[in-house]
Amino acid sequence: MMLQGLWQNLDYVASVVLFCIGLYTVITKSNLIKKFMGLNIMETSVFAFIVALGVVDGGDAPIMGAGAEPPFINPLPQALILTGIVVAVSTTALALSLIIRIWKQTGTIEADELREIE
Amino acid sequence: MITWPPLLALLIAIPMTSAVLTPAVARGNGNRAFWWALGVMSVASVIATMLIARVSQEGPFSYVVGGWVAPYGIELHFDEFSAAIAIICLLGLLAIVYSKDYVAHAIAEPRIPYYYTLLLLNLVAMMGFTVTGDLFNLFVFMEILSLSGYALVAVSGERIAEMAAFKYLVMGAVSSLMVLFGIGLLYALTGSLNMADIATRLEGAPSAPLAVAFAVLTLGFMVKAALFPLHIWLPDAHAIAPSPISAVLSGLVVKVGIIGMLRVYQIAYGSGAIDMSGLNLVLMWLGAISIVMGAFFAVFQDDIKMMLAYSTISNIGYIVMGLGLASTYGLIGASVHVFNHALIKATLFFGAGALIYRTGKRTLTDLAGVGRSMPFTVAAISIGAISIVGMPPTAGFLCKWYIALGAMQAGHPFFAFALVFGALFIFIYYIRMVNAFYFQQPKDPAILEVKEAPATMLVPTLILATLCLVMGVLGRVPLSFIEPAVNRLLATVGGG
Repeated sequence: MMLQGLWQNLDYVASVVLFCIGLYTVITKSNLIKKFMGLNIMETSVFAFIVALGVVDGGDAPIMGAGAEPPFINPLPQALILTGIVVAVSTTALALSLIIRIWKQTGTIEADELREIE
Repeated sequence: MITWPPLLALLIAIPMTSAVLTPAVARGNGNRAFWWALGVMSVASVIATMLIARVSQEGPFSYVVGGWVAPYGIELHFDEFSAAIAIICLLGLLAIVYSKDYVAHAIAEPRIPYYYTLLLLNLVAMMGFTVTGDLFNLFVFMEILSLSGYALVAVSGERIAEMAAFKYLVMGAVSSLMVLFGIGLLYALTGSLNMADIATRLEGAPSAPLAVAFAVLTLGFMVKAALFPLHIWLPDAHAIAPSPISAVLSGLVVKVGIIGMLRVYQIAYGSGAIDMSGLNLVLMWLGAISIVMGAFFAVFQDDIKMMLAYSTISNIGYIVMGLGLASTYGLIGASVHVFNHALIKATLFFGAGALIYRTGKRTLTDLAGVGRSMPFTVAAISIGAISIVGMPPTAGFLCKWYIALGAMQAGHPFFAFALVFGALFIFIYYIRMVNAFYFQQPKDPAILEVKEAPATMLVPTLILATLCLVMGVLGRVPLSFIEPAVNRLLATVGGG
């Protein structure tokens, strides 16, 4: 029963697993770039979760035209997540530029060493 | 007075467009960027005044963007809580004026337009956040605001500014993700993103995912508001940012977390589909712990801006406790404290910034005796300090009094004690500050030679200090203004 439930909700389970991997990376890695990669993995997992909300079994791509028949996949989550991705890209760009400046000033991007410098 | 409905959309559209245009308009000329930013904020303030005049006469109203009807299109909604844009405009204007001289010596001339771009973006995103009626737009505005905030912290050029900004960014990004996840869950449960619409559709939704959604949203907003265990990013970020930015961050940006919680609880209370009493209890406790711990850490700081940053954590505790009490007085006190704390904390940061600008020193030990050479600035700081303690007849007293009344009203007298206890701690650091500025012998006699702050810094500080006193005397006005909104919010839970 339990396994079957997990299998049916595989997309949600996968995003939870991804989220945990990302969180683990953010917390345990000392390298600032790796920390931020972890954050990006977390972001991806939430995006995947929300896109998965719009899925309809046997649904078609929500584009009208010849041969398109209902049911269609809900396009709203996809549109939202497109915005979410733009936000994530800007955050990443800002974080990377901050990391570059930290590196130029201190010569290191390891959180442990930076703490000593502070 | 009935205002033209699209004004609500223009409130966001005009400053947002103008903010992005700043570098093009100013083309590396810092002075022109300053006047442009000031003009934009003035226009926004005029619009905001008209909107608040309308809400006080007719009650809440909304505007549908692009003519798409509410549950499908994007809705901007203006109610009494949205009147927080008044303080955003006021502080924004003063922060821009204050920046004129401050930025000229802190930032290279060609970069100044970008500074004003970021500041304007930050302010307009906050206005958008307060008036949006749509959960996803709430998230987008929150991100604009956070991103500009991270960049503004890094702008100061202090040695560990980038590190503080990075810490702030990681915490901020995780909290934004939590909010997005919560919004996704609510969308999954209701199929809608419009707040009013969600409230009507939540009934009958399974309670477990609903509880998770509200818990995750609250957690995300708590990080933004820097409530005690989640505050670790705040002291560095707020202390290291340039002083006008510290005032905006501490006075306004952390309040976004509070307004976000208010918006989410409007949904929760409005639907009646979920029992919020567990979450309220958590909020009360965290608020009480936040009050005491924030004040406790503030007492041991020697760096004046660090002290003020910790005091923000304490004051956020007051507001969150008021929210958690979910009683009429508690909520009124909390909503008005959002406004008053912004006034008080901006006074203090503006004053501290002026001291640092003139003397180049930031610790209480080094600043000893400065009261003799910069009397007006230090007088303003003292008024701010009295307000933050909550002594009558200043602005801080009224809200704290109401929150204490709310604690009694909700049958939790213990929390009123926590409040008084916190105020005592705050009193200690107030004494330390006043003692250092007025009564201690200066460590370095050169401090007696410094001039009073330049007019662009002194005038905003004095205006705010005066407002701290005026709002204490005229306290009835905001209290009675917010009362109908609070009653409407609590009517659905039958709370009193």
